[in-house]
Amino acid sequence: MAHLCLFSLLVLSLVLETQALTPTHHLTTTDVARLQAVLSQPFTDLKSAYYSVVGLSKLGISVADAAETCRFIKSNLDPSSVESLFFAAEASQALPGCEIPVSNDTRDLLLATVSEDSTASQIHQSVSALSSLGLPLASQEVVSALKARISKEDNVLTIILALQTASRLSQQAELGEILEEIEDLAARLDDLGGVYLQFEEGLEATALFVSAAYALSDHVDMEPPLKEDQVIQLVNSIFSKKSWDSLSEAFSVASAAESLSNNRFHVPVIVSAQGPAAISHSQPFLRLQVTNVLCKPLSSASVLVESATATSSKSAILSQAPFTLRDGVFELNFMASQPASGYYQFSVAIAGDSRFVANHVELKVKVSTRVSINNMDLSVVDKDQSIGPKTTRVEYPAKAKASFMADSHQIFAMTFQLVDETTGVELTPHQTFVRLHNQKTGQEVVFVAEPDSKNLYKFELDTTERKTEFDSISGTYALYLMVGDATLENPILWNVADVVLKFLDEEAPSTIQAKTLYTPKPEIQHLFREPEKKPPTVVSNAFTALVLSPFLLLLILWFKLGANISNFTLSPSTVLFHIGHAAMLGLMYVYWTHLNMFQTLKYLAIIGSFTFLAGNRMLAQKAVKRLERK
Amino acid sequence: MSNSVISVISRFLEEYASSTPNKLKVIDAYLLYIMMTGALQFLYCLLVGTFPFNSFLSGFISCVGSFILAVCLRIQINPQNKGEFLSISPERAFADFLFAHTVLHLVVINFIG
Repeated sequence: MAHLCLFSLLVLSLVLETQALTPTHHLTTTDVARLQAVLSQPFTDLKSAYYSVVGLSKLGISVADAAETCRFIKSNLDPSSVESLFFAAEASQALPGCEIPVSNDTRDLLLATVSEDSTASQIHQSVSALSSLGLPLASQEVVSALKARISKEDNVLTIILALQTASRLSQQAELGEILEEIEDLAARLDDLGGVYLQFEEGLEATALFVSAAYALSDHVDMEPPLKEDQVIQLVNSIFSKKSWDSLSEAFSVASAAESLSNNRFHVPVIVSAQGPAAISHSQPFLRLQVTNVLCKPLSSASVLVESATATSSKSAILSQAPFTLRDGVFELNFMASQPASGYYQFSVAIAGDSRFVANHVELKVKVSTRVSINNMDLSVVDKDQSIGPKTTRVEYPAKAKASFMADSHQIFAMTFQLVDETTGVELTPHQTFVRLHNQKTGQEVVFVAEPDSKNLYKFELDTTERKTEFDSISGTYALYLMVGDATLENPILWNVADVVLKFLDEEAPSTIQAKTLYTPKPEIQHLFREPEKKPPTVVSNAFTALVLSPFLLLLILWFKLGANISNFTLSPSTVLFHIGHAAMLGLMYVYWTHLNMFQTLKYLAIIGSFTFLAGNRMLAQKAVKRLERK
Repeated sequence: MSNSVISVISRFLEEYASSTPNKLKVIDAYLLYIMMTGALQFLYCLLVGTFPFNSFLSGFISCVGSFILAVCLRIQINPQNKGEFLSISPERAFADFLFAHTVLHLVVINFIG
């Protein structure tokens, strides 16, 4: 059942693998050297000794002073601690000729630790110590203890330790259930952007998982249920960090690197170009380094270019061309196929071992060339074309002997061709500029020379059309041709000739002003809002008098009508009312000049209520009087 | 045509002079005064411009408001309208007139600036 499951997974992975990932992060030789330096630090206790010794052995490097290390281990060993026994046993296993003395008590202690009540780490340590010291152990008991442990503690580190432990047990034991944990654990990995695959517990957990999974898979000879893309993503995660926080982290990276280089199922391949991937006539070989994750060259590999197509024209230049191995580097003479200059997309396949993962790589290769200028012809043409042009030919890198004169009736013209030096093919580089530099004033004007349909470059300077660029300053201008491109090895700056330009003199500025971009600008004065225009005081005064004049009219009319105040009684309420009313009118004036609404309302309330009471009284008296009269 | 207009106007003026009580004539004189003041203010605004627009508005509104209140007083005081204003005595009308004027002048002075 498990076999069928794995087989179908394999078929599925082959079918799904259309666009395979390639590792974006890997260890370079300097990184491996740094890892080795970290692991070679002098150790202070048994734990660091274990990490250093076993870590270096995984990198394939033996410890400097084996005898001294062995003595250190033996002297720091604490036979009553399982952990100490584990470190000592594993370290001594990696050192040649180092034996740890074992007593019956030690063996009993280790065997007793194998039970459901110990932690997974304790079980791992005791089983590893027993196996390294060559002591017998009961595999089935270990398996049941591990299974019980996993069901109690379902975290990632426990399961990783269980996998490591299982790889030390006898092959007859029932490791099937523990093997299935690899798949469950792989499902718990976090996919970050399709590039990285790691546990949220961190780099160390991911690296330990890789080494444990492959150790167990090798032990039971069953392919781990990891897809190729997943393996590459794990490579990216583990090898993206190039300096390690702790010795245990460095150790985990070293053991992951070792298991990815030497296991029986998946070996990721790292392909990198040696130097920039650029080819020219002076350097016709494309060199590739093909290594495993530990930067060791894979000499059993055969590297093949499946196709090489030009990125611009999409035409295939090469197909199925093999690389030759020389001094650990694979090289191919690409210039022999005589490619035109430009960029090429290479599809490279690495074969030779069925374990290779990420063995299809896409590379972008640049082919550069040297350019030469042909048929540089300079001429001065009359605008009305009455006089035929005299063309002067100039050879690179010489300068034209005579200077050219062009005034407002003439056009200065330049034509040339750019060809590949070796093949003679016409080129159109990205930058073809014509620069005119006035030596006296320091002015320079740059134009672009454009190729026509036959790839012949033309440049024409009409003095009247272009006078604004030159600010109409006449004088001698040095003419330079600038040619450049990413695929050119020899960019050109060539002083072709001197050109004397004559502009109509009255348009020239009298002084040449340097561009004042960075000098202080004139200060801006803030203009406050101008008050509105008021009419003359005479007019306002006249109208004030005019508006007040109807009052006179009113008084006259009232007098004529016979309005009088004969009914004015001098009773207190009347007097008080009139005083109050006058006060209210006075308050209005004071409000206009001094007060705000709130103060006015306050005063008005006081005066108003007083006036109201007095007025009420007065009017009541008036009403009584009126009714009496009736 | 103009003849009949003139005759109507002269008849109206005669009627007015004879049958209107003096009190009402006093109020009418006051109304005329208010109207002229308002008209002159408007004339100034037309001729010279609306520069302190808030002042113009407050002055004009004051004239208009006073005119309206005076008209109300006239209506309420008129003995011929007694039937419609049974509960409001002339004194009460005058008191209302004074109170309304206080409120009007408060607003006008606030706005005159």
